[in-house]
Order: sequence, then structure tokens, then C-alpha cells
Amino acid sequence: MGLWQKLTNNRFFKSIYREGYPDTDRKRVMVVINSLALHLHPVRVPKKALRVSYTWGLGGLSVWMFVILTITGVFLMFYYIPSVKDAWWSIININTSVYFGSFMRNMHRWAAHAMVILVLLHMTRVFYTGSYKPPREFNWVLGVVLLTVTFLLSFTGYLLPWDQLAYWAITVGAQMGGSTPIIGKQINVALLGGHQIGQPTLIRWYTLHVIFLPLIMIVLVSMHFWRVRKDGNISTPVYAAPPEEEEVQELPAARADAQEEAEAAAPEGGDEEPEPES
Amino acid sequence: MARVLQHEEEERVIEDPGERVHVWPHLVSIELVGALIYLLALSLMAILIRAPLVDLANPEVTPNPAKAPWYFLGLQELLLHMHPALAGVIVPGAVLILLAAIPYIDRSRVGTGIWFSTPKGLPITKFSAVYTAVWVIGLVLLDEFLPAGEGAHGISPLLELYGFPPAVGDIFVPLVFMTFIPWSLAVIVKRRWNANTREIIIALYTFFLASFVVLTVIGTAFRGHSMQLVWPWEIGTPEGVMGHY
Repeated sequence: MGLWQKLTNNRFFKSIYREGYPDTDRKRVMVVINSLALHLHPVRVPKKALRVSYTWGLGGLSVWMFVILTITGVFLMFYYIPSVKDAWWSIININTSVYFGSFMRNMHRWAAHAMVILVLLHMTRVFYTGSYKPPREFNWVLGVVLLTVTFLLSFTGYLLPWDQLAYWAITVGAQMGGSTPIIGKQINVALLGGHQIGQPTLIRWYTLHVIFLPLIMIVLVSMHFWRVRKDGNISTPVYAAPPEEEEVQELPAARADAQEEAEAAAPEGGDEEPEPES
Repeated sequence: MARVLQHEEEERVIEDPGERVHVWPHLVSIELVGALIYLLALSLMAILIRAPLVDLANPEVTPNPAKAPWYFLGLQELLLHMHPALAGVIVPGAVLILLAAIPYIDRSRVGTGIWFSTPKGLPITKFSAVYTAVWVIGLVLLDEFLPAGEGAHGISPLLELYGFPPAVGDIFVPLVFMTFIPWSLAVIVKRRWNANTREIIIALYTFFLASFVVLTVIGTAFRGHSMQLVWPWEIGTPEGVMGHY
């Protein structure tokens, strides 16, 4: 009995992966349906949509940056102290005394810049491939909101090292916000937690950065993914129809998905019926 | 498996997803490889390049120049040329609202899923990018070097010299340019390419994208001491930002 067999041929492994390695079409369907992470995907995708040069994987990579940022961010939270007196010194500590501290901080910084760039590029890809067109209008709107949240997440994190770069970048930013017509003063006070940058600003931006905005991001990204599925999965070419062709009623995307999964699972289905997942 | 679809708005289109393949292993493997490449690249970058950390924040010492993070430097560049409420709030707010409105303006499904949608799409994109870049760079240079008497430079100071109130140079003129450039672009694209709605929207998005890129590059790499135009190699470290740790 090989090592692979030993590892997989037992009650515990089979309780996690009921079907074993997906080596038949039926198992390839079931692995996607049964897995929380994989079931964000449909069971099958158009071959055209797999070309890297179509999407460049930019949306997925943006989410991947968010995952990396969460992991490195939690690590940094173990050592970072959100106080005006200690913040800068705690960064020095991370850089010099903490195992992998400098690596994790560098990674957090570069992943944050990468995420802003990837989200902008993802929007540009979606635009130039016309993938915002009906029925995907609202998901494009969600995307614009996600772009804004990405900017806010990055900008709130920028203040935390409490160095000259951070302090004065936030001064410039707060001045911009403060120039809003009519409610500028209120916005300025709301941003700074007072009339000047200080401890209230730091704790406010820290809280937004580590809990509020990431939660908003998770909720909105979930909606974004959900809508990708409900709006008919990844976009595929749509042409103007010549007038004489026969008309077929469109299936709502969700039903088409469920039906397809049922069809794909059916041939060897036997006793168990796959659950349509919506 | 092309399907002919009938929509509420009586638009008859053919949707052609073509052959379908299983997500496992075809898509899952691509995602795994992509994620690993990015993780590796980021790790290498984290090992080789240190995240910046400069002197402890000091409210007494203003760095010169004081700059926002790179993705806001386009807006900070606008700040040099117009009223702060316009550059800092109204323009970015309007941009986000207009971006969100795109699918409600361009409502036809035709052209979905195809890069640039039509054969005219790519030429229009290229033209729009060049047209926008020429305008933006030209206006930045004009506002920097236009003599306005007594050593002053810029469009707004010149107008004030001729007795116009500051609002004309700070609000009215920028609004005129920010409306005229995309409008003229749309008109040119419509005349020269006989563009449809999608193609005009492509021109306008390219206007947004090119402005963002050009202004960000100028703000990042060409603004030095006192936010004056310099060459990238002349920028150096801002005054008042000492020691990298």
C-alpha cells in the first residue's frame, strides 16, 4: 500500500473528501459542488474564458492580495501599538527584533500597492471587454464601490507607521477632504477625530483599517462573486443576431447553472442526487 | 451552443460561449499557478526591497514637497491647477459616479466578451489615449510656464492680472477644459470613426484612464521641491524627511 493510499484510504480523509481524487467527470462535478471554496465557481466554464489573455486573472489576484494582506496584517497587529507615542517605535521593533517582522511588513506594503494596481487593472479589463454590459450592470457598480474601499483601506494604512511620510500624506489628504463645499469642516473633524492629526486620528484610522473596512470588503466581495454567478458567470462573446433566426427564451443564469450541474452529475449519479447550490 | 436571446428591450443577440470544460482541473490549476507566481514574486520583493520608514512624525517640520500616496498624486496634481474643492472632492466624486453610470448609458449587450468589442475599438482607444495625453501634458506645461507678470506663472494668475476674480481661473477655466476635452474627443471619434455608443464610451473611459496615468506619473516623478516641475532624477529625498530605517 503506497503512502498516498495510506493517507487517503481511511475514515478521516474520506469524511473530508467524500469522493476521492476527481478523476472522473462525475467526481469533477462533485468536487466543485461539495467544496466551499471551489463552489464559488460554476462546474464548467467556457474554454474561451480560460485564456489568460482574456482576463489576466486580475480579479482573482486582487482577492489573493487581500488574503495575503489579511495574514500579514494580523501578524503585524501582534506587534504594532496604535499610540502616537509607541507606533513608530513598534515599527522599528518589527523591523529589527521580530522574527520575519521586516519580511512581513515589506510583504504587507508591497501587496497593498499591488492590490490597488490589480483592482484598477481589473476594472480596465472588465471595461475594455464590455463585461459591464447587461445583465452585469449592478456588479460593475459594486466594482466601483470596491475600488473606493480599496483606496480607503490603503490610505488608512498609510498613517499607521506614524513617520513623516505618513503624517504629511494624511495632512494633504485631510486638507483635500476639508475643502468639500458646505460640509468641509465637519468632514475634516470626522477624518481627524478633532481639529488636528493626533491620537484620536490614529486610533480612528487604525480601527477603520484593521476591522471596519476589511469587513465591508469581505461583504462586498462576497456580493461581487455572488453576482458574477447570478449574472451568467464570466462574460462570453455576444453578437447582434440576424433578424430571421429562431428565438429561444433565455434561461435565468442561476437556473441554467443548476440545471447544468444536475445534467453533468446525472449520468453516473445512482442513489445520491447532487444538491443544486442556490 | 449559440443561443439567440430576446431581451425586454427587443435587442436580438447571439450569445456564443463555445465549448465548455470542467473547472477541475482546467481552471483550478490556472488559479493555483497564478497565486503561487504572485506569492513568489511578492516574497522576493519583500526580501529585496524594504518598505519605507522615515523619521518619526513631526508636526513642526513640514517636508518639502509633502506628497500623498502615489494613487492620489493625480488629484494632488489637479490641486496645483484649480480650486481645492474641485480637485479634492468634486472631480473624484464625479469620476466615481460617472464610472458607475457607464452600464446604464451603454445598454446594448452586443460587444460583450470581446476585447474592444469592435474592430474600431482599439484604434479609438489608441487615439483617445494620445489625444488626452497631449492635452493634459500641454495644460500642465502651460500652467507652469505661462508668464503672468512679475515672476508669476500660470493661467489663473494671468487672468487675475487682467482683473478677473480668482474664481474664473480656479473654477471656471478648469471646468471648461475638463468638459471640453472629453466632449471634443467624443465629437472627433464620432465623426472620424462613425462611432456607436460603446465606441464613444471607450473613448471617454480612455480619457479617464489616460488622465489618471499621466497626472499620476507627473505627480510622482516630475514634481520636486515646492511642487515645481523637475526631471525624475532631480527629485531626491524631500526636505524634512530624514533617515531611512
